[in-house]
Amino acid sequence: MRKILVGMSTCGMSAGAKDTYAELEGLLPEDSQDELTITGCIGMCFREPLVEIREGQTRTIYGDVDPKRAAEIFETHIVGGQEIPEYVIYKTEKDEAVSGSELSFLADQERIVLRNCGLINPESIEDYESRGGYQATRKSIEELAPEEIVEEMKTSGIRGRGGAGFPTGLKWSFAAGYSGEAKYIVCNADEGDPGAFMDRSILEGDPHAVLEGMIICARAIGGTHGYIYCRAEYPLAIHRLQLAIEAARARGYLGENIMGSDFVFDITIKQGAGAFVCGEETALFASIEGERGMPRIRPPFPAESGVFGQPTNNNNVETYANVPWIINNGGQAYRSYGTEKSPGTKVFALAGKIAKGGLAEVPMGMTIEKILFGIGGGIKDGREFKAVQMGGPSGGCIPASLKHTPVDFENIPKTGAIMGSGGMVVMDDTTCMVDMARFFLAFTQEESCGKCTFCRIGTLRMLEILERITRGEGQLEDIDALTELGGRIKEASLCGLGQTAPNPVLSTIRYYMDEFTAHIVDHSCPAGNCPALVDFVIKAENCTGCSICAKVCPVEAISGVLKQPFIIDTEACVQCGKCLTSCNFDAIFKVGKKVAAK
Amino acid sequence: MAKLTIDGKEIEVPDGTSLFDACRDARGEDLPHFCYHPDLSVAGVCRLCQVEVEGMPKLTIACNTGVRDGMVVHTRNERVTRASKQILEMHLINHPVDCPICDQAGECGLQNQYMAHGLYDTKVEKVDKVHKSKAQVIGPHVILDQERCVLCSRCVRFCAEVTGTGEMGIFNRGDRARIGTAPGVELDNDYSLNTVDICPVGALTSRDFRFQKRVWMLKAADSVCPGCATGCNVRIDHEAGRIYRLKPRYNPEVNGRWMCDKGRMTYKAVHDENRLGDPLVGGKVETWDGVAGTLAKLVGEGGFGLVVGSPYQSLEEIHLLKSLGKDAPLSGGLADSGQGTGDDLLQDADQTPNRKGLELLGVAQHDGPALADLIRNAAGSVLILGGDPAADPTVAAALTEKDSVIYVGTHGDKTAGLAKVVLPGCMWAEKAGIFVNRNGRLQEFKQAVARHGNAREDWRILSELMTVRNNPDVPGSLKGVRDELAGSVAADVDLNKLPARGFLPGGEAR
Ligand SMILES: Cc1cc2nc3c(=O)[nH]c(=O)nc-3n(C[C@H](O)[C@H](O)[C@H](O)COP(=O)(O)O)c2cc1C
Ligand code: SF4
Ligand code: SF4
Ligand code: FES
Repeated sequence: MRKILVGMSTCGMSAGAKDTYAELEGLLPEDSQDELTITGCIGMCFREPLVEIREGQTRTIYGDVDPKRAAEIFETHIVGGQEIPEYVIYKTEKDEAVSGSELSFLADQERIVLRNCGLINPESIEDYESRGGYQATRKSIEELAPEEIVEEMKTSGIRGRGGAGFPTGLKWSFAAGYSGEAKYIVCNADEGDPGAFMDRSILEGDPHAVLEGMIICARAIGGTHGYIYCRAEYPLAIHRLQLAIEAARARGYLGENIMGSDFVFDITIKQGAGAFVCGEETALFASIEGERGMPRIRPPFPAESGVFGQPTNNNNVETYANVPWIINNGGQAYRSYGTEKSPGTKVFALAGKIAKGGLAEVPMGMTIEKILFGIGGGIKDGREFKAVQMGGPSGGCIPASLKHTPVDFENIPKTGAIMGSGGMVVMDDTTCMVDMARFFLAFTQEESCGKCTFCRIGTLRMLEILERITRGEGQLEDIDALTELGGRIKEASLCGLGQTAPNPVLSTIRYYMDEFTAHIVDHSCPAGNCPALVDFVIKAENCTGCSICAKVCPVEAISGVLKQPFIIDTEACVQCGKCLTSCNFDAIFKVGKKVAAK
Repeated sequence: MAKLTIDGKEIEVPDGTSLFDACRDARGEDLPHFCYHPDLSVAGVCRLCQVEVEGMPKLTIACNTGVRDGMVVHTRNERVTRASKQILEMHLINHPVDCPICDQAGECGLQNQYMAHGLYDTKVEKVDKVHKSKAQVIGPHVILDQERCVLCSRCVRFCAEVTGTGEMGIFNRGDRARIGTAPGVELDNDYSLNTVDICPVGALTSRDFRFQKRVWMLKAADSVCPGCATGCNVRIDHEAGRIYRLKPRYNPEVNGRWMCDKGRMTYKAVHDENRLGDPLVGGKVETWDGVAGTLAKLVGEGGFGLVVGSPYQSLEEIHLLKSLGKDAPLSGGLADSGQGTGDDLLQDADQTPNRKGLELLGVAQHDGPALADLIRNAAGSVLILGGDPAADPTVAAALTEKDSVIYVGTHGDKTAGLAKVVLPGCMWAEKAGIFVNRNGRLQEFKQAVARHGNAREDWRILSELMTVRNNPDVPGSLKGVRDELAGSVAADVDLNKLPARGFLPGGEAR
């Protein structure tokens, strides 16, 4: 009997996995010995839809499986018993990788959090159990005293994966020290950073791991009820969580007398309305309570007074997903991954101008270069690596010159960026850094809750300045103003949103001062991005002289002789971009203004 | 106790004190602030109260920091001053700066803080101010100008935490955030005008006070609200004989920093067009001299057959009434006068200011039929001091039968219509006196404005009546009345020098 697994997480679905699944379902005879099922994201989003054929100890994963390719694979592999090597992206025998075009993507990964993602059917609790699921829960109830669980977490040295990197064992011990009418175990699944999808993939691919982490936490610190705060934009994750909760209840892992003990714990899902600030834990608590999702002042800290004023422990999805592994294998084993101060692994979402965009889990301390070039396959279209943005709107960009920086909680902050929740947005030479800073600031400015003076008004002021600069109307003093204002906002804001909002701008000023001055002094956008500061030019080598561009230009700024390279009159050009889209030979480019004049 | 150093000055404060309060003690003045309010939860949003605490990398907001032993704090150094200047600059960027037409001007937190700490040449250029709604009526008493709001959330917290009515909210996010009431909701609670008091700027203003007066022209007199038995301490803001508004005066033992909306409107009765400005005899206007003969006849010859007081009169007046009543039966007026509904916050169901004063001096009240009987059986003239007892029909019927009724009143009410002689007395704001509140606290009110027309202070009217009666107790001054009264109230207090928070015989523990 073989298993045919189709990757059916949001990434797979958006690549068309539903059609692939339907195709296979139609082809598979009613009485087939083979089982068609679904699985979560294995991380290779760039090759979705994925189909795996599992036979005994052998797993063969095919990439880019549209319905047509699915039919082909069905004929040749499933019926004919012959694998199609060209389509195989990854193949393992007895857990050892043996072949496939994407070997390198997975080769350097260590999968603790994603241990089941892409391997099991996330909607089947039996699948989860068959891979050791809920054994850590049993151990926590039957073998370990609550303090021992906390101790194990401390030994592991794991730090919160939601962004701030607070030591999880320590956090648990704080919450353990308070008592109240209730004690809440909260899972932060708000994942609001633009471009981040680690938590979504975990929830869609292995929801029981998160539930188990929460159950163990409750057991360790005396939690009475759990809340998973998940953004409403993640319907599939919510659906699978709901199924998982129901299945866990039916199995006696949640509810009264868990596993025959006197331990009582249950979990409710709360849907978030999608405001970025609701990911900030105190705002998240307010939202759970049915209040407006606005950050609250601290102290008091959540361990003392969180949801409904009761002691509360809040961790990120990925943090919880690590817990069962740590309990099963021991904190010391966890420490064998990663670095001294940042033990374990971290899941990153590779996005932007990267060749292989997807999810990768690596030991902490791996260099940026190894992640982006080893696993991520380098820059898309072979362009030049310029920078990587980490930490989203709270983070900063790290220039290519610092690509040897180890990715961990010690070294990333030194660059001016932050670890953040794991988003890595890669930029190439066509990215304008000023505009990138403007993009992130526009995001936080829009998302500021408006409570604090500086976060509310200061971010808008910074944004106005940046917009002026990208229009070529900036002044050199603007840079001082940005720095000064940025420092104030960081210092004088109540919650993490405001405290980090200026980071993308400040780190860009730090590394890309030349781009700022190019915009301000030369009125030129070197990356050829900011519309007011670019010229459209025709690259003579590529131009065939077909004249199509001259025909579409609304202001007749393009001229030339047929079959000879054409020329754009940059004075007359109104930067509408029509010529660029019309050219069939990639001969038209946007370049910074001055560059053309030189 | 925690010892800390603030701006080089060592102070010692109890553990648990907020750093904000400790800084005030050390500096002799508050830190700049908008959102902090001693009676509301800490919001920590305006960030104006930032101070530098040695050993902490960032500036810290004092309002949400507890004192620690050994803390070294700077509130006026370069770093702190610069930060607060910049915050004010932020606040001003979106502010309409319409001070010339703003009622708050003169008592505005933004104006004051800007003068003290502000930058005078604003550096940040601004594309366009964020425009919001102006002059929006949001309730029976309050008008909102969103553009002036600094989003301190005091009003929101007041409605959430003090009244529990929750009408105010902040809507939208970021720079679009604005204060307001939810659609279909009005800021309509019995305490809504307190939001105007605590709003540090002119975003919330009183509809009653709007455009009436520039605040720096107003004079203030300490007083007590006559609206109910609680006796909230108030300040009467007045100018040129006119009262413009009442504001609560801080008294932790009575009303804290609040008062109710109804109480604030009590001043309106002072300037009512129905006020009595001259004596009346048989409904005809008379001079005081002209009325003397009638009084001599009614009182001098016939004497008093009954003396009726009311819980609206001051303690001193009731005392004099008692002296007058020595040779006649005495009533404290209608027992059910001024009954309304109270609440848990301040308002008392008893809407008279001094019923406890009657009790203290042992003057009993009567219900309508009983008072009517007393009136009918009175052998001699009937003197009524305030309270309009004829509002009760049975009393009115009894009074109609008498043609020797003397009424000392303030308004042309029912009793004034039935009395043979009407003598114009003063309203509380036009005289001084003592009210005893529901807890038995003696509280003094002072004269704020001049007497209406030819009205006279009630104690003077009573002392004149005594003279007519050849009563030997005639007082020469209000001070004299108080000295005399002191003995019957509590031996150890000088009623001429009552403490600001009033005096509770038997001590605060009661
Ligand atoms: C504006 C803002 C947004 C945040 N969004 C998230 C989020 O989406 N997910 C998350 O886990 N933590 C988020 N955080 C961090 C949380 O406040 C909190 O630190 C975290 O959930 C703690 O979990 P951990 O200790 O497991 O990392 C956010 C913080 C801020 C200031
Ligand atoms: S820092 Fe910004 S998002 Fe956070 S509480 Fe203040 S205004 Fe709201
Ligand atoms: S209206 Fe006044 S009290 Fe209310 S938030 Fe605005 S400034 Fe503060
Ligand atoms: S007074 Fe402290 S932050 Fe507003």
